[in-house]
Formats: sequence, structure tokens, C-alpha cells
Amino acid sequence: MYEFDIITPNSVEAAKSAFEAAEDGQFLAGGQTLIPVLKQRLAMPSDLIDLDHVHELSGISTMGDSISIKAMTRHAEVAADHEVQTAIPALAKLANGIGDMHVRNRGTIGGSIANNDPAADYPAAVLALHATIVTDRREITADHFFTGMFETALEEGELITELRFPIPEAASYMKFANPATRYALVGVMVAKSHNNVRVAITGAGPCVFRDAEMEQALTLSFVPESIKDGMIPADDLNTDIHASREYRAHLISVMVRRAVAEASG
Amino acid sequence: MDTPHITNGIGKSQERREDFRFLTGTGKYVDDMNLDGQAYATVLRSPEAHADISSIDVAEALALDGVLAIITGEDWKAAGYNPIPTKSAVRKSIDGSDLKEPPHHPLAIDRVRYVGQPVALVVAESIDVCQDAMELIDVDYDSLPSVSHQSEAIKDGAPQIWDIAPNNICLDFELGDQEAQKKAFGEADHIITLNLVNNRVTAVPLEPRGALATYDADTGKYTLWNASQNIHAGRDTIADAVLGIGKENLHHIAPDVGGGFGAKNGVYPEPILILHATKLLERPIKWINDRSESFLSDTHGRDQVSTVQLALDSDGTFRGLRTETIGNLGAFCGTVGPFTPTGGSSRTQGGPYRFDAIYYTAIAPFTNTCPLDPYRGAGRPEGSYQMDRIIDYAAAQLGMDPIELRRKNLIPPEDLPMKSPMGLDIDCGNFPEVFEQTIALSDRDGYEARVQKSMAAGKKRGYGISMYLECTGGGPKEEAKVSFREDGKIDLSVGSSSTGMGHETAFAQILAGHLGLDIDDVAFHQADTDATAIGGGHGGSRGLEVGGSAVLQTSRQIVEVGKKIAAHQFDVDADKIEFSEGRFHVPGSNHTMTMREAIDAQNDPDVLPDDLEPGALNISSVFERGIISIPNGGHAAEVEVDPETGIIKVDGYWVMDDFGTIINPMLADGQVMGGVAQGIGQALMENIVYDDGGQLVTGSLMDYAMPRADDMPKMVIGYYEDAPTAKNLLGVKGAGEAGCVGAPPAIVNAVCNALKDLGVHHIDMPLTPERVWRAIKDAKTS
Amino acid sequence: MPLITVHVNGVETTKEVEPRTLLSTFIREELKLTGTHVGCDTSQCGACVVSIDGKTVKSCASFAWQFDGAQIKTIEGLANGTELHPMQEAFRTHHGLQCGFCTPGMVMTAVALVESNPDISEDDIREGLEGNICRCTGYQNIIEAVKTGAKAMRG
Repeated sequence: MYEFDIITPNSVEAAKSAFEAAEDGQFLAGGQTLIPVLKQRLAMPSDLIDLDHVHELSGISTMGDSISIKAMTRHAEVAADHEVQTAIPALAKLANGIGDMHVRNRGTIGGSIANNDPAADYPAAVLALHATIVTDRREITADHFFTGMFETALEEGELITELRFPIPEAASYMKFANPATRYALVGVMVAKSHNNVRVAITGAGPCVFRDAEMEQALTLSFVPESIKDGMIPADDLNTDIHASREYRAHLISVMVRRAVAEASG
Repeated sequence: MDTPHITNGIGKSQERREDFRFLTGTGKYVDDMNLDGQAYATVLRSPEAHADISSIDVAEALALDGVLAIITGEDWKAAGYNPIPTKSAVRKSIDGSDLKEPPHHPLAIDRVRYVGQPVALVVAESIDVCQDAMELIDVDYDSLPSVSHQSEAIKDGAPQIWDIAPNNICLDFELGDQEAQKKAFGEADHIITLNLVNNRVTAVPLEPRGALATYDADTGKYTLWNASQNIHAGRDTIADAVLGIGKENLHHIAPDVGGGFGAKNGVYPEPILILHATKLLERPIKWINDRSESFLSDTHGRDQVSTVQLALDSDGTFRGLRTETIGNLGAFCGTVGPFTPTGGSSRTQGGPYRFDAIYYTAIAPFTNTCPLDPYRGAGRPEGSYQMDRIIDYAAAQLGMDPIELRRKNLIPPEDLPMKSPMGLDIDCGNFPEVFEQTIALSDRDGYEARVQKSMAAGKKRGYGISMYLECTGGGPKEEAKVSFREDGKIDLSVGSSSTGMGHETAFAQILAGHLGLDIDDVAFHQADTDATAIGGGHGGSRGLEVGGSAVLQTSRQIVEVGKKIAAHQFDVDADKIEFSEGRFHVPGSNHTMTMREAIDAQNDPDVLPDDLEPGALNISSVFERGIISIPNGGHAAEVEVDPETGIIKVDGYWVMDDFGTIINPMLADGQVMGGVAQGIGQALMENIVYDDGGQLVTGSLMDYAMPRADDMPKMVIGYYEDAPTAKNLLGVKGAGEAGCVGAPPAIVNAVCNALKDLGVHHIDMPLTPERVWRAIKDAKTS
Repeated sequence: MPLITVHVNGVETTKEVEPRTLLSTFIREELKLTGTHVGCDTSQCGACVVSIDGKTVKSCASFAWQFDGAQIKTIEGLANGTELHPMQEAFRTHHGLQCGFCTPGMVMTAVALVESNPDISEDDIREGLEGNICRCTGYQNIIEAVKTGAKAMRG
């Protein structure tokens, strides 16, 4: 790995200053993605700004009709949290399926969202549940956050501090995992709130996306049969040795139907 | 030799003695070893599949602080070493010409021929400096067209990889009787043809390859600790054949080795390179592969494309078998390489089934990919897959029951011993009985209820069975040396190599059991050219068969000498002495002497008979196996398939194995289960993929799927022990590879059985969910 | 260079580390505790798993300095002299290891699984071990070992 310096700020303000001061700084959250990247010599930051000691970035709480999850909350904490399990069980289930136990002890929701890996699980939840991404300088709604493969609306040095998930009436996450990495080849979250249904699909395309046709059909009638084969064209989907685009298109329909069945049942 | 009646420790599930250090983290694998003043080496590997090296500029890299040496192909050529020879036992093509053996140097000279091929060795004070240096090496490649797939490689007009091998063919091969096979085909009622792919896989031992080399300028001797499974033969090749340093000057040792499965058997470039460098720099040098390098450079396995034809009558009787295979050698002949798709896959054609005639042909071509060498089974899994897949396929085509078809054709015990149409000596076994026992083990009574349960959940359930017949191999000779120490411990040294199979326990079990001594007193040594004069290493499931037999042979010789000591003590003839339960005694008298007492006496010239020297009980003997043994058995699998997604769950797995005498049932189970896991891995998820440009697409665990705990079914294993072989002293039939020989056909048969109502009759491995989904889709539209 | 103080298997150590020094490298090369193994370079095999403040962590996907002040337990800290931890004993009884390379990470994971879920089911064991690859055993004996270890740990 290339050499770098480390800074361990204790507050968001200090973290921001550290980023400004660094020649080419990078925030370090759980490290489960960044550290393997550094080991491969695929990145060369001058400074790593460690967020582990920014205590204002930890914690889960219920705020009225939303669950607030601070950015440095570990996947294991989300999975085990009683409030999340009660209010949004699909979110707890999603968190519990990320990577493996060891990854979940370190990986964070903020890190995952900021990275926006096309095969990550959390983006599907953030988009389907219509979450708000709170940063050090503004609030961004989910629909405006994910802009492309590994790209988000975050400005340079902008730090996610919190995610606020409105509590849905019903939601479910279904995942077809890559057998090697256990990332999502196709991961769908379906969420129903105020008679409105949102469907977010991760893994299948270059970036997490919603599908209007599926959402309309399910808003009309929230049953698995509302999803017809071929609703998602295969053309723009990812294709690789693990799953072709045609197969992913097919899987999306299957996963959405199963998610609807689980959310209803 | 007669079939032995063994007692004394045999058959006991003795807990393993090596476990304490492995469980407490005090094992010593090569990366755990460090020598004062050691330097580190990394290998710069080719990013091109086929290219001329027009220049290599190492000046900037050499100037980097901490870099000690950089060795390129030009340097290697100037050193004048010989290439690494292939030891393939099959060396001639059908027309009698020699196999085409291109020069395999540890570094590319002038041209690279596979992605990952070593181009330079960098030696520096730390790995970090090595990596910095590698980035500064400037290699100019002139790309050439490349070919990754064997069927493409042999076509006219394909890129030529080696001038000496037209159409990239190393050799071709035939075995069997073509005339008889044609005749059988001509007479048979039906001929069923099936094209099969045996997918390319890699061993993935959890410990990557690595080695530590050091040179003593005063003595001129080298020491190489090497995560290798073939120490003595490797020493001979490296020291004599390649470097010309003389084998007496290379001390080659394997420390604890973290798995191998055949991929650590061969002679590799890197240990040779660091031996050269350690002399150059007069510092110890450590090199350890990382996992991505393992994918690029550990020899791969399997990768055969075959057409199999089964000729049978309407009543199901098998008449003839014809198999044509195109193997794949990669860019060079591996240490065993050309043997695998030729001798390896041909020998067991026909399995345990009766045939009038069998004819097998193979082509072994080069491709611009990593070389291939034995991987657990080394040709026999391919043969077993061909046999048991076409039986099920034929059954489906002809509306026959695949179980009845097997029942009808399994060689009955009264036909044994026999020579198979492939010339294989099948000495003993009871295939029909093992078959019935496999079925009986697999809870057929409960099957229908499980089918219903699966259906209620929208899934398809299937049952598949395979009957494998395989044969052992590897070096036929082994040395077992025993010496009794003053402190009461017993040094047992063998030339074989255990990389997790438990020889440390099993061999000690045999020795201690036979001599009536405490197994905890045995200090085990293996895989060390200083410990035994010869050694056959690992391979072909030879451990117990050859190594264990050597231990037993030495034990018996110790008893014979002990009898002389006792006889002298008791003043009787030696032939009056009997030995049992650790005691020498004269029946009908109260003369008795323990083995321990004999050992204590052995160094005292006053109590020894005249014809024995002190230390007479310290004996080394070499056992030579006459002919290989024939392990065989049945695998049965149940799978549940989700037709919507194609996801397969292996929901039940049963094995009935004939391994002859079982020395340690717990260790035998372990070998079977590990082998089955690898077989399931190959059948369902493992696949080494090169793209058309020769780039390795599956170059890490991110893309190469390995079975994990939640992928594995519960395995039930039984043993048929009524046919021990007389081919070795223990009556054992090597168990190490059988698991992955029997599993792939059982799994694929089960999946095709589950999907037969949907019109699916074959899917090529790995049966990924997408392939299953497509097969179902395609069957619907056709 | 950062100076860190860690408690490893109950022993306090203070050392200078480079920012880029992985925890696995620190454990193996600085502390000479070579029981923690490195089996891959994509943080997927689990051979490097250690326990930090009671939670399992892949030491190859962590920097040493991240754990300044932490209680680190490696495989070497599990047994009590020659007296094996019940989980280690269970692995031995059930032949839950062959080559031994994945074993330290596997055992550390097994202990953590049971500590967080003493009545753990077989399915949960299989799922809990999804981050640990074994190439030798086929996992079955590992599962049996974890069940027996759990029982012994429950007391």
C-alpha cells in the first residue's frame, strides 16, 4: 500500500477542517471497502481522516415517524437494534445480510451510502424508503442522492452525518447474492406508505434505480401478480459472468413479487 | 503378499496429534518462519496473454532505496540454467513421436505466453519496497494474438504458441481397442452421444504458495523451506535438472503446509528463482504469493471438452464406450500436465461397469493460459463424470431407469479379479453390493414425502446417483525410518507429505499400534530430504497405501529384530518367540519382554546377540507398491431447485465407499467430506474463466465462488470394508481423492432428474442459477 | 509514526506503527503471533479473524492504529496454557480441522458466535460462518464442533 498520514478528529467540524487541510484527503469510515482498495494500490490518498472518534456520528433513535441512524453506525448495530427491528424489520434484515459477520462489525451505513457501490444493499433501502441524507451542510433526499456508478450528489469533502428513514407501513428486501462476494446481483426493496409504493433495485444496473411501471402497478394493487415479466428492459442492466442482463431483468421481477408477498404477509 | 489381518490401533478414530498446534496457532507454515537478515522477493507477472518482450528497463527500480536485486529473463538466460522438465508418464503421441515439450524457464525469456507468467524477480528489504520497485519496472510488450480455449487452439489458423507444436498440440493419445469398440457399436441397438465440459477450476488451498531460501557460502549448501507437497522429487528436479547444483547440496523441507490438493505438487518457478537469488545476495529470501497471484499462477485443474458415446442394447446392456477429449495444458507442460487428460482420464474409463469394448482418444493442446497440473483426482473425476453423466442421459433419452441401468451393468464380484478394457487391474470389490448399500443409505422411503414438500413450496426435487471407480497413483515407493531416542521418544520419518490429511496421526497410529507403544511418544517427521533418503511426496491418494505400508513394514522388521534380542535374552531360538500386545514371549513359558525393554536393550552390546549391532532396532525400510489400488463407491444426492431463479440447494448427500481397510474412520470421513465439498463446488459454482483475450476474469475470491458452510448439505458416509486389497500391506485403497470423483456426476444427475419433467436433460458445469434458468427456458421453447 | 498501546491476549504492548501497517501484519510481524493467518487479499476468507473488544474483525481489513487502546484476542490467547478452550477441544474431538490454516479464524469466529448466541442453531452456525472459508473439511465437522463447543460453553 502507498504511504499516507492519518488524522483522528473528534468532531464533525474537526473532520471537515482536516479534509480542507489535506492535500488529497479521504474519509475512513468502517474501512471494509477502502482498506481493500488501498491494499490493491487503487487509491493514493495523502491523508486518511478517521471518523471512528467522531462520537456525534454514532447512534440510532426514533424521531416521530422516522428512524434516525447516524452515519458511523455499524451494520451489526442496525441489524440488532430493537427499534429498527420493530419499526422497519426489512432494514434490519438488509443490514444483517451485508457481507458477513466480521464485515458487519466494522462497516457503516454512511460509508456504504457515500461509496454507492452498484452492488451494495443500503442504497436500495435509502431509495425505497425515501430516506433523507443529512450531511454536514444540508439535507439531500434519496431521489437526488444517487447519481451514477460510485457517484453521489455529495460535494468534495461533504460528510454524511445521519440518515433518516421514514417508517413505512410495510416493506421487504429480497436479495439474490453473488455467490462469490455475497454482494447483491439483484437486490430489491419494496416499501408501501400512504398507499404509495416505491420499488428500488440495486445490483442490477450501474446505480440503484426505481421503476415507475412497477411502482404504479403496485400502488394500484399491492399483490405479486401486479408484476408482469418484462417490465424491466434488460438493455441497461449490468452483465457479467455471474449474471447476464436478461437474467437480472428476470430476477428483478421474481424478487419484487417475493418482496411484495413478504411485505403483505 | 496376503491380505493382512490388522489389529492394534487400526480402525480407531484416534484424535489427531497435530491438532494442538493448529488449534493454538503454534503451527509453523512457511510465512511464519523468519530468518535473521532475510530479504523479500516478489514476482513481476505478465499482464499480457501472448506478447514479445521488446525491452525491460529496471534502472529506475534498481535505484530505489532498499532494492537489492532484480532478475529478468535475460539475466536468467545468461545464467545458463536448464528449463523445468515435465515428468509426464505419457510421453508419446499415437504415431510414436515424442510429446512436444517447450522449454519452461522460471522467467519469460523474450516472450510471454500467459497472463501471470513471471517476467522478473524483485528482491528488496521489504514487501512495500518490492511493490514500489515493481511499479518502476518498464516492460515493453508487443502484443500477439492469443488463444484461450482448447477447441480454438487446435484449429488451423489459430495463433501459434510454440513453434515446435503445430496446431498447438503437445501430444495426442489413444487407449483401448478401436476395432472392438467399432464392432460393439455396430452391434448395439442404440448409440447415445453427449458433449460434456469438465470446467476449469483451481485448488485454492487456504495457504498461498510460498518459500524461504537460504545459502551457506561456507558449505555451498542451500536450504529451501517450501509450501510444497513433493519434496524429494522437487529437490531432484530443482537441484539436478534445473540449477545444476547437485541434489546433495539442496536441503528441501516442507514445514506445516496449509492444504495443497495437488496444486503444490509440481515444480514452480518462484522457489527456483529465490534459490538463485539467495546465493547471489548471500541473504535468506522469503517469497509468499498473495491470493490474486495464486489464481494467476497456481496450476489449474480439469478443463476438458469431451464427446462421449455409449452403445447399449434395448434391454439396457452396455456394449461399448467411446470418449474423445480435448484437454488443456495451458502455456507449458506442467510437471505432470500432459498425463492428466491422456493417461489420467483414460485409465478408469468405463468405471465399475461392464463393457465389451472401450476406446479413448485425447488431444492435449497448449493455450495462452496458466499451466494445468493435477488437482485432486487428476483425470479420474473427468472420467467418472463422463461415465455417470452419459448413463443418466441415455436413460432419459431411452425412457429407462438410471438406477436399473446401473444395476444391470455393474461388474459382478465373481468377475473379479479382471483387467478392464483399459488395462486396469481391478483386483477386488463388490460394486453391486456397494451400489445397493448407497441406495439403502439414502433414505429412499422418505423421498416421496420430500418431493411433495418441495412441490408445495414451488420447488422441484431430484435424486441423482453415481458409482465411481477410481485408481490411486503417485510415487510407488516410500521410506519409513524409525529410531528410538534416549529420552524415550520415537522418531518416525517418512518421505510422504501430509498437508492436512493427518499422516502425523495415522502413521503414528500404525507404528505405535503395531509395536504396542504409546502414540504420544512418536515424533513425526516428513517431507524433508535430510530425514529420509527417498520420498514419494503426495499424490494419487498414496499416503496410507504406500507411506502407511512402509510404516507397517518397518514396524514388522523392528519386531523381527526384537524377537532376536528377546531370544538371546531368553536363550531360545528366535523362531520360538511370539509378539503380541507389545510383548515378546515364549508360549508355554513365563519368558516375557516388553518392546520398551527391547528398545532399552538395543544399545547395550553385552545383551545383544552377536549378529546385531547397537541400534539394531533403528530401522529404515522402503516399501514399493506393486500395483495401484481401486477405490470405488457410490454417491447419492438430493437437490431442490427453484425453477424461478435456478437456485439449487443440495439437500441430502450420501456416500458408501470401498476404501478397503479403514485405518482411522474419522480421518477417512474428513477426506471424503472435503472431496465432496470440492466436487459440489465444481458442479455448482467454481469456474476459472479466461476471456478471449487471455485475461483471467476470475482472478480473486470476488469472482471465484467457493463453497461455504451454508452451501453444504449434511453428508452421511458409510464404508464397505469386505473387500480389502492385497496390493499393499494395509489392505487400503487410497481415499484422498474419491470425494471429488463421485460428487459432480451425482449432483448434475440429481439436478437433471429434478428438471426432467421440464424437458431439461443436461446442463454443463458449473450449474449456476442462470444456467439452470436458461436450460429451463430453452427447454420450454424447443 | 503513531504510537499505539494495545492489550493483546491480556498483555499490554506499546509500539510505533506506520499508518499503513495492517492489523494482521502488526500481529504477525511485530508481536510475532503467527497463529493469525493471511489466506487472501480481498478480505473474504476469514483466516485472519481476531476478536477486538469482544467482536470479530478481519485483521487484514484493518489498520493497527485503529485499535489503539483496544483489547485484542488472537488464537494464541484462547487456551489456558496447555488446557484448551472448550471450543478448541470441540474442534479436536470432532476433527474440525485438517490443514489448520483456516482454523484460528474459524475458532475465533465460532467462539464469538456462541458468546453472542449461546443457544445457537445449526442453521445459524452455518450462516454465521459464511465469512470463513475452509477448503479441507467440507464444514460438517466444524459445525459439529461448534455445537459441542457451544454446549460446553453453556456449562
